[in-house]
Amino acid sequence: MNLDLTPEEQAFREEARTWLREHLPTEERPPEGKPMRDFDLAWQRTLFDGGWAGINWPTEYGGRGLSDIQQMIWYEEFAKANPPFTLNNSCTFVGNLHGGPTIIVNGDEQQKSTHLPRILRGEDVWCQGFSEPGAGSDLAGLSTKAVIDGDELVVNGQKTWTSYAHVADRQELLVRTDPDAPKHKGITWVICDMDSPGIEIREIQTMSHVTDFCEVFYDDVRIPLTNVVGGLNNGWRTAMSTLSFERGTAFMADQVELAATVEDLIDEARQRTGPDGRRPAIDDDEIARRLATARAEVAALRSMTITGISRTARAGVPGPEGSIVRLFHGELHQRVYQLALDIIGPDALRLTPVDGEGVWTGPYLQSFAYTIGGGTTDIQRNIVGERVLGLPRA
Amino acid sequence: MDLLPTAEQDEIVATIRAQLDRDFDLHALAAHDGATSVIDRDLWSRCAELGWFGLGLSETLGGVGYTLAEEALLFAELGEHATPGPFLPTVLGARLAALAGDGDLAASILAGEQIMALAEPHGDADATAGSTVSGTYRVTDHGGADLVLVLAGNAASIVGAEQLHADPMASLDLLVPTAIGTVRDAPARCHLDDATGLVLRGTVLVASELAGLATATAAQSTEYAKDREQFGTPIGAFQAVKHRCADMAVRAEAATSLSRHAALAVFDGLTDGPFHAHAARVVAADAAVQNAQINVQNHGGIGFTWEHTAHRYVTRSQVRSRTLGDLRGHLGALLDQPAPT
Repeated sequence: MNLDLTPEEQAFREEARTWLREHLPTEERPPEGKPMRDFDLAWQRTLFDGGWAGINWPTEYGGRGLSDIQQMIWYEEFAKANPPFTLNNSCTFVGNLHGGPTIIVNGDEQQKSTHLPRILRGEDVWCQGFSEPGAGSDLAGLSTKAVIDGDELVVNGQKTWTSYAHVADRQELLVRTDPDAPKHKGITWVICDMDSPGIEIREIQTMSHVTDFCEVFYDDVRIPLTNVVGGLNNGWRTAMSTLSFERGTAFMADQVELAATVEDLIDEARQRTGPDGRRPAIDDDEIARRLATARAEVAALRSMTITGISRTARAGVPGPEGSIVRLFHGELHQRVYQLALDIIGPDALRLTPVDGEGVWTGPYLQSFAYTIGGGTTDIQRNIVGERVLGLPRA
Repeated sequence: MDLLPTAEQDEIVATIRAQLDRDFDLHALAAHDGATSVIDRDLWSRCAELGWFGLGLSETLGGVGYTLAEEALLFAELGEHATPGPFLPTVLGARLAALAGDGDLAASILAGEQIMALAEPHGDADATAGSTVSGTYRVTDHGGADLVLVLAGNAASIVGAEQLHADPMASLDLLVPTAIGTVRDAPARCHLDDATGLVLRGTVLVASELAGLATATAAQSTEYAKDREQFGTPIGAFQAVKHRCADMAVRAEAATSLSRHAALAVFDGLTDGPFHAHAARVVAADAAVQNAQINVQNHGGIGFTWEHTAHRYVTRSQVRSRTLGDLRGHLGALLDQPAPT
């Protein structure tokens, strides 16, 4: 047990702080379409050129091979640099945090050398094709089917809740390749080119007005068998490694940013008039208590993140305990924005974008995604109950 | 940066756990229910011999020479076992005596020869400690105590137990004997006018004990949910129960991680040490109380009986979440802190 940064980690922090001061974009991120894609990829390229892409990726795949602690330090410095956009609100998210890490662990040399550099250099946008209209929490019940035809898979079906599909180049796609096997055994994880003939993408309107949500339809889409990652019919295991990243470190940036958000909210409460119309909001007992509680809970979130990193460092791979942090974070994120609306008074009635400075209602609407995406909190509770605590399945 | 115990710390914990399992069994301790003292002097000496009271005190001051982190691990174990007894005033009292230069007094507390009680102001905002002690106090573990650690304002004092006459009250937790007494200008054996650092360590230790309480009830519920069958299946298979157990594990993990973090931050003298100590106290108290309450529910009728230990965690968590300040005080102190750097 220690809180010490090694001299190397300390130097890394200084280096990150200096670099961010000089390179962080000052303009707002375009909220949609090609301008958004261009902005996100340009930032990824800037990160790559500066040596900040793939901080905890192995060096042989173009990463820096640094520790999860250094990854966390990077996120912390990013959040402190007062950026005009949030880290995970980028279409490079899936490539950097799901697709890339999954290929690092499960991919063959050809897949690694093809895709990993393109993700790091900001050349490809990735999206996720996991959920289906009939397979949400019961992901293994997915029915999008793929039939082998020569050296190709022919895919028919539908995926949904696919963020950034409309601007993506590649997709991590789960398909059923053996309809006769037990449901977990007949699934394959495959890389799908989004410009393949037979793919149709429709955007889905969301309650937060964010327009990156899509559904994807596959009509005889042909994918080379060489795009299968982790083996035919072994996709459930490959997907579980993707999800362990998602539940382990992929939300670290969000977690770090939430701490900065709570501090911003405390500033708002000092500056804004409170519910009595006279004193600052922070002098209101109930608001003060909730703010202090939020401060305590984001501190706990950070400590839990460090505990998770310590555990992964010992075990070598992220374990099911990641769901504990994920669960705590999702619900805390929502509480913070619910509190924000009670602090900003009449401004709670004004719709804002999700991203930007001093925005609260947009992120409040977006916060509902935090207990649904990446496995609902109910599923996370099942995982904690069954895989961490060893309780029996229903 | 690492928030899991080292191999050496794991060994310390294992030793503590073995002793607590053997000598502080909650069913056996029930014999002390309602008594003014829960201390067996022989047992107390054995804890002293194991170095528990000076775990985080430097060797030059007569301690074992570990840090606040190991002390926090001890208190987490005390919480996990719902161990009664004046551990907190003993550890803090020995440190106070040593820091105040009274090595003999420190040594006798560390050796378990002089038994401590804890006094905190009881509804008296004007209570004062220092070279003399005045005010109305709540004294815990008063029966059989030789000395009383008095904490008031920023100051701390040790007074002879004969100086602070207190009337026992019916205690919510029958293993935390409590009495109320008023004292006027009682002379201190030793004191610190600025005991901020001592109290901050105490805050971390109480947070750690609360985290241990939360961990114990999470484990108790999980075990019961695996064993107890209804409708032909272990009740842990039902989401209503499974999800409550999962939430308990989440709260225990939050409390444990943050209280360890706080122990390190305070020991290292970081500027955000007080921030983390208050935050840990807030999160751990919530975890301990909520988990204890839900633990009774998870056990159904058996959880409502005196024979079962579930109620021990309810009352202990309520008492400890009012030891060295309450929720309101710690929330206020936390909001007054600068943002952590």
